[in-house]
Parts: sequence; structure tokens; C-alpha cells
Amino acid sequence: MAKTSDVLSGAVLAALGIFIITEARQWEYLGPDGPGPGFFPMWYGIAMVALSSLLIATSIGQALAHAPRPKASEVGRALGTWAVLVACVALLKVLGFIVAFTLFTLFIVRFLYGEPLGKAAAIAVGGAVGFYLLFDVALNVGLPAGMLGF
Amino acid sequence: MKSRYGVLAAALLLAVAAAPLHAQGFKPSKPIEFMTHTGPGGGGDVFARGIAAAMEKEGLMPVRMQVVNKTGGGGATAMAYLVNEKKGDTHIIAVFTGLWFTNPIMRKEAKFTMKDLTPVVRLVLEPAMVAVKNDAPYKSLQDFIDAAKQSPGSLKQSAGSLGSRDWIVRQLLMTNTGANWAYISFPGGGERIAALLGGHVNMMVIEPQEAGEHIRAGNLRVIATVSDKRLPAFPDVPTIQEAGFKIPNVPQVRGIVAPPGVPAEVVAYWEDLFARFIKTPSWQKYLADNMFQDGYMRSAELAKFGDQFSDTTREILKAGGVKVAR
Amino acid sequence: MEGFGYLMQGFAVALTPYNLLWCFIGVFLGTVIGVLPGLGPAATIAMLLPLTFKMEPTGAVIMLAGIYYGSKYGGSTTSILLNVPGESASVVTCFDGYQMARRGRAGAALGIAAIASFVAGTFGVVGLMLVAPPLARFALSFSSPEYFSLMCLGLAMVVLLAGKSMIKALLAMLVGLWIAGMGTDLFTSTSRFTFGHAELLDGVDFVVVAIGIFALGEVFGNMEVREGAQMLPAPKGLRNLLPTWRDLKDCRFAFLNGSLVGFVIGVLPGAGSTIASFISYGIEKAVSKHPEKFGTGVVEGVAAPEGANNAETGGAMVPLLTLGIPGSGTTAILLAAFILWGLRPGPLMIQDNPTLFWGLVASMYIGNVMLLILNLPLIPLFAQILRLPTYMLYPFILGISIVGVYSVSGSLFDTWMLAIFGLLGYAMRKLDYPSAPLILGFVLGDIMERALRQSLMMSQGDLTIFVSRPMSATMLFLAVLILLAPLFRKANALRVKAISS
Repeated sequence: MAKTSDVLSGAVLAALGIFIITEARQWEYLGPDGPGPGFFPMWYGIAMVALSSLLIATSIGQALAHAPRPKASEVGRALGTWAVLVACVALLKVLGFIVAFTLFTLFIVRFLYGEPLGKAAAIAVGGAVGFYLLFDVALNVGLPAGMLGF
Repeated sequence: MKSRYGVLAAALLLAVAAAPLHAQGFKPSKPIEFMTHTGPGGGGDVFARGIAAAMEKEGLMPVRMQVVNKTGGGGATAMAYLVNEKKGDTHIIAVFTGLWFTNPIMRKEAKFTMKDLTPVVRLVLEPAMVAVKNDAPYKSLQDFIDAAKQSPGSLKQSAGSLGSRDWIVRQLLMTNTGANWAYISFPGGGERIAALLGGHVNMMVIEPQEAGEHIRAGNLRVIATVSDKRLPAFPDVPTIQEAGFKIPNVPQVRGIVAPPGVPAEVVAYWEDLFARFIKTPSWQKYLADNMFQDGYMRSAELAKFGDQFSDTTREILKAGGVKVAR
Repeated sequence: MEGFGYLMQGFAVALTPYNLLWCFIGVFLGTVIGVLPGLGPAATIAMLLPLTFKMEPTGAVIMLAGIYYGSKYGGSTTSILLNVPGESASVVTCFDGYQMARRGRAGAALGIAAIASFVAGTFGVVGLMLVAPPLARFALSFSSPEYFSLMCLGLAMVVLLAGKSMIKALLAMLVGLWIAGMGTDLFTSTSRFTFGHAELLDGVDFVVVAIGIFALGEVFGNMEVREGAQMLPAPKGLRNLLPTWRDLKDCRFAFLNGSLVGFVIGVLPGAGSTIASFISYGIEKAVSKHPEKFGTGVVEGVAAPEGANNAETGGAMVPLLTLGIPGSGTTAILLAAFILWGLRPGPLMIQDNPTLFWGLVASMYIGNVMLLILNLPLIPLFAQILRLPTYMLYPFILGISIVGVYSVSGSLFDTWMLAIFGLLGYAMRKLDYPSAPLILGFVLGDIMERALRQSLMMSQGDLTIFVSRPMSATMLFLAVLILLAPLFRKANALRVKAISS
């Protein structure tokens, strides 16, 4: 099992737990009427620190078990897709959904899947038009519009 | 289909032609975005759709009003959207509620206040009622206050969030009488009523329309109303002031605002339109069905009212020990 | 049998061609919007409301109610085929439904979802018809302490949802609680974990979290490799398009469980269908002979939550019609619609308006039959989507996720949140953290905290309020039993070993 990753994720969660506790300390723990806004976060923050410490401890104990490392290229492809999605979301405001989605699809089909450009363009445009017809026209649900008004 | 639209267009044109030409220069040329900060089914949403439906029925506008929901931030998202994205846009208006005044006072995350927007009209005042369960021993508000004084903190009110109208009524009554009772927040009106009907709390400041059927069925009793004068549907129930408590009346307001930078002629168009609108039978019926009171005010008066409302609320919040952001 | 006469009268109302047509339009629209993620029944009913003013009220009520329960049928479709929860309540259907689809049994999963929806949906209507007034009293006796205990019972389900590592499941649940805590504290108006963003004052929307973690996480995970012309095997032949007899037999208990749990929880205005589907899934797993197979694609794991989700509609109609109390955005807008037509839902509605009430009940029976007939033939059609090559399917899923999230709030901020949760979903997958407990914590966290604080305000700080009320005490006891179940099982296994050796 991937024990190094457990130690790392445990550390991240422990840090999150500490963050939650420090934030919760600024809020009232017990008010005049009952538990305050700090009550619940304080407890799940503490539980998070405790459990993640436990996770780290047990993982270090078994650290000798050799874990198959995830392939960098695979993770790269997945994170690449994510980055393209983020770019698409960033472009929504400027270009609107129709254009941003066309570019997004074009990029994924052409570069991540290596399909020919013509095919990729056809899929991208077809997909965007489909979304437009389904949501904007048929269902009257506004898609995010860009600076140009569509 | 085509011919039907033709007839519709003709009817609309007639309606427009018949309208007095107060606001020369501005006439909506495409559908009006009518924004509300609540999701479908929320108070502001239902109100906006009520207006849009009545407008359509009365045929007062040449274009449609399309309700748009911008939820989030207790109104802050909607307000920021008007200021940042829609500055000077003449084809969008929004429903405001009391929350649009109080939320920015309490929350530092809220970047804008009502002063950043263009006031258009105030439309309604919503009265409320102080209700108890029918088998409760309190026959009047005085009975309730006396009981609360006898055992401080043991009586409970089911209510909304801090800073809402029911909270303000409680704060004012507690300071005025020295009594003290618990304020238990529930997120939805339904849960509040359920807690009262189930006998888990003792009192609730309730909207007349929410309470109507339960009063008719004999489940709830009203001991006072939160309004300037007695409600037509409940002529025997005194207002809080008549019941002997000298506290200011706390109105729940709703009305219309526009983005900043909207030309005066556009504001004038809306003022006139709504002045005609509130006289229509559809709107009168809507007010009666919901037991709202007409609270029409033009833009300038609304601006003054808003300042005053914000100041009073801020004072009450501070007195209640709430940190105010601005 | 006074009620029977009324029901016959109701059928006479609902079976007029005019009302039948409206019923069909309602359930058809409901199915369509249910299939599309994000676009929910509340928004649809709100959009159609102005059109109904020209209609006769009974027809309008029948149509709008049809949209409401029809959307529950459609919600499972994208959960099963694409791992995109179509409605918040169908997130539980993803657990086993999507796994079934991955093993080429998409048709069977969709079929069992439709059948479970029909059985439980009908059960819900029977319940609404027979026991509405007494159940309304039950709903009123259920208050904050009971809600708190119900949420504890729900959180105990984490034991059943955990994968290999209980610690990781609990950690995921805690992260869910944290995300649920973001936003304004209802009681004191304190901002918590908003990081200065006004958009976070109302918290994070469920759809953003569920679609991000399930749908996007899955897509990113699958994008790791370019190969694989098809994401999932499309079901081949008619045999594989429908559930088998065996499937139906396996689901007998799930139908009953889903129906009962969904209906009872539906009656409570403060709970909701997502909680109902989680709890019925948990019960199903707890009583199953092969609990270890849950999450790998067992039919009961689809039937129980889908049933609960649909029985919930009948339940939610109880407080709506007999108390005028809505339990969700959808029922709130239905209530607003009733009032706009001049009908007054409340304790006197069944007496005052018997034609409308019984007409609605009868139309719900008919609507459920229509939905079954409508949905079964659609299965082969929907399953065709799996024949799309991955390079077309994935952009489509990502696009529909963006639109779905945007249509809920109309805010671009939420599309950014979607991207963040998509990354979180992928990270959890890579690091072996189960996602179901996170969703569970997220769904229950808010209500749980609120109920705890309300209860302690009611009791002035006395903790015994949770055990002195019988219903609350029972649920807490059950929660403890579930939490201890793995220990019992271990002890039992040891004992068996000791005896046999």
C-alpha cells in the first residue's frame, strides 16, 4: 500500500485540523443560551488532528511495505485535464460558455487524445451547438455569457 | 403559433400606447431581468414571481419580466453582481428585502450596501403576528411577558437568524420590559411553525399568511400584531403598541432596486409603472391573499427611509451585543 | 369506507382526458429535468408557474406535482451512467449504480431504479392517502433532539460506508463536516471559513460538492490513460437491458426498506431525501448477507436508495398538504403555487377541498404508472450514450457538470468551486480515501450541529434531553449498535474460530 502518501495526506489533514481549531478558538465556545459557533468546529477539528496523527503513526509503522508508485505520466495526464478545465472556467467570464467549451473540447480531443484536428473541431463545435440548443433554446436555462453577450 | 404572437404583440402595443407618456425617452426594448437573491421557493423568489405574473396579467409592460435567481451570501452575491457586472444596465431590476440593509451592516464579507445601488420603489410592508399555541396559558402579550419574567430564560421563541425582524422585535420587547427568553433559530419557516405546533417552543413571530390556516383550525392563537394598525383579518387582536408596549414598529419591507449609474429617466419609468401597477386588481388581490400592506414609496423617499432603517437596525444590533461591520 | 368513495371520486377527476394530459406533461418534464444535473424541479416549477394561471387549478396541481415526483425518477439516470448525480438525492445511487454500469449492467441498474421508484413511489402515495393526519402529528412530535439523534444514526452509517481503512473513512467524514460548516452560523451570524468571500456566506451548495467529487473525480481518474475507446461496456442484447428475475428477488427487502424509510423521513420537514437514501442504503448493507459486495455494484444498493428517494415525495406531501409546512425548496414553491391559486394547504385542506386532495392522490398513482411505462423504454436509449468514445464522452460530462452547477446559483464562483472539488475528488481517489463518507458528513453536518444547539437551548444546557425522550433515545441506541457492530462481528469471528479449533 502507498504508505508514504498516507503519511503525506495525514500531515495535510492534521494541518487542516489545526487550522480548524485555531479558527474555532476565535468563536464563542459556550454562549449564554447554549453551545456557540465555536463548539462544533472545535470538536471535529480535534478529532481530525487525532485521527490523522493515528493515520501517520500506523503508516510509519508499516513503512517497510513497498508501495507501487503511481506513474507520473498518468497523474500528469489527469492533472493536465484539470488544468484545461480550470482554463475553461477562467474563460467563461470573457468568452462565455459556448466559445470556452468549444476550445476546451477541441483541446482535449486534439491534444490529450491525439485525434485529427478536423475531427476534433467537428466534435467541439457539434458539442457546443448541442449544449446551446438543449439548454439555452429548449430549456431556457441561461448558459454563462461572456463579454460579447453570448 | 405565429399568429398568436402577433395578437399578443398587438395587445401589448395597445397597452403601451394607452399608457401615459410620463417617461419619455425610456421604454424597455428587451426582456427585463428581474433578480432575486433567494432560490426558487424562497421569500424573495415567490415575491418576484408574484409581481411578474401580475404584470403579465395586467399587460402593463411591453416586454416580459424574467425572474433570475442569484443566490448566496444572504443577498451579498446579488448586490455585488448588480454593482460589478450590471452598472448602468437599464434592463435589470432586483427585489430587495430588509436583509439587503441588515446583511451589510453585520457582515464584513459583504462588499456593498444599499447606498451603492439605485433605489427605485418600496412596494410592501409585511406585518407579522405574535402567535402562541392554542392550549398555551398566555391570553395576551402581557401574560407571556409576565411568564417570561417569572422564569427567565425558560420560555422559548422559534425564530429565524440573528438580525432578522423577529430577532429585532424580541430585542425591543426584552429591553422594554426586562423580561428574558431564549431565541432558537431554525433555517426555514416550516421548521419554526412545526416547533411551535409541536409544543417544543412557546412563541413565534409569524407571518399572517403562514399562520392563517392554523388559526382557522384552532391550533394557534394570536396575541398581538406587529404592524402600524390592526390587521383587517384579525380585528380583535391589538398591535404590540396597543397592548401597552412602547416600542417602535419594525416593518419588514420589500421593494425594487436597480444597479448603480442608471439614468433618472429609467428610475422615473419604473416609479410610474409601479404606481400604476399597485392599483391593479391583480396586485390588490396578491396583497390581500398574502395579508401584505401597501407600502409604495418613490425613489427619493425610499433612499431616506433606507438610511433611517439602517441606522435604527444598527443601533438595535449594537445594543443586542452584535459586532457590526460598518 | 368513506375514504374509498373519495378516492374513486379522485380517480374520476384525475382520469378526465384534460387532467391525464397535464399529468403526462408533468411527469415527462420531470423526467427530463431529473436527467439533467443541476436543473432541479424547484426551478422548473418556478419557471412554469406563470403559465399555470390560465389553467384550471386541479390540472395545474396535478402537473406541478408530476414534475416534482417525476424528477426523482430521472435523477438516477446520470448517476448510473456517468457517475454524475442528477439530483442531490441520487448521489447514493452512484455508489452501486455506476459500478453496475461499469460491469456492463447499466440496463439492469436503470431498470431496477425505475422499478424501485415505481414501487416506493406508489407506496408513498398509499401512505399519504391512509395515514396523512396521524403522521402529521408524528412529524410535529419530532423536534431538535430527535433530529440530532437521527443525524447521529446517519453518521454512524460511516462504519458501513468505510472501505479498507476506517481511519480514512472517518477523516473523509470530518472533512465533509468541515465543508458543511462553511458559511454563516445561523444562530449568531458569525462567518465561518468563508476566507473573506461573500459567495461563501451561504455555504457551499450540495450539487457543487457531489458533482465535483463524483463526476469530475471519476473523469480525471479515467483520463490517466488514453486507451480505452469506451468508458464502460455498453449492455449487449435485450437480456442485459432489463433486470433479471433474480435481481428482482434480491431486491424484495430493498423495496420495502426504501419505501418505509423514504416515506417516514419524507414526513419530517427538516430531513430530506438525501438523508433518506443514505439511511436506507445503510440499513440495506447492515442486514445484507454479503455486505462486503456493496459498492461494487449490487442491485440492492441501487434499489434501496432510489426507492427511498421516491417514497420521500409521498411523505413530503404530508406536512405540505396537512400542515402547510414545506420541507424543501421544491415543496416551498409548490406551497407558493397553491396559495397563488387560492388553495390553502393546512389542517383544513382535506375537508375544504376534497376534490383537489383526492384528485391529486389519484393522479399520483396514475403518474407513477406513466413514469414506469415512460422510463423502461428509455433505458436502451439512454444506455446508448455509453457507446460514445471516451474522447467525446468526457468533455460532455465536464460540460454538463459546469452547466449543472451554474444553473443552480447563476454564479461563476461556483464553477471555480467545482474545479476545486474535482481536484479533491481525484486526490481522494489516488490516495485511497472513500468519497461516500465525505458526502455523508457534508449532508448531515449542518443539520446535526443546528439540532444539537437547538436542543441544548431548549433544555437550558441539560444533556439528558437526548435520552429522556423515547424516540431520540431509541435512535441513539441504534446508532451505538451500528458503531459497535464491527466489534461484535470480530468477537464473533474469534469465538467461532475458538470453538472450531
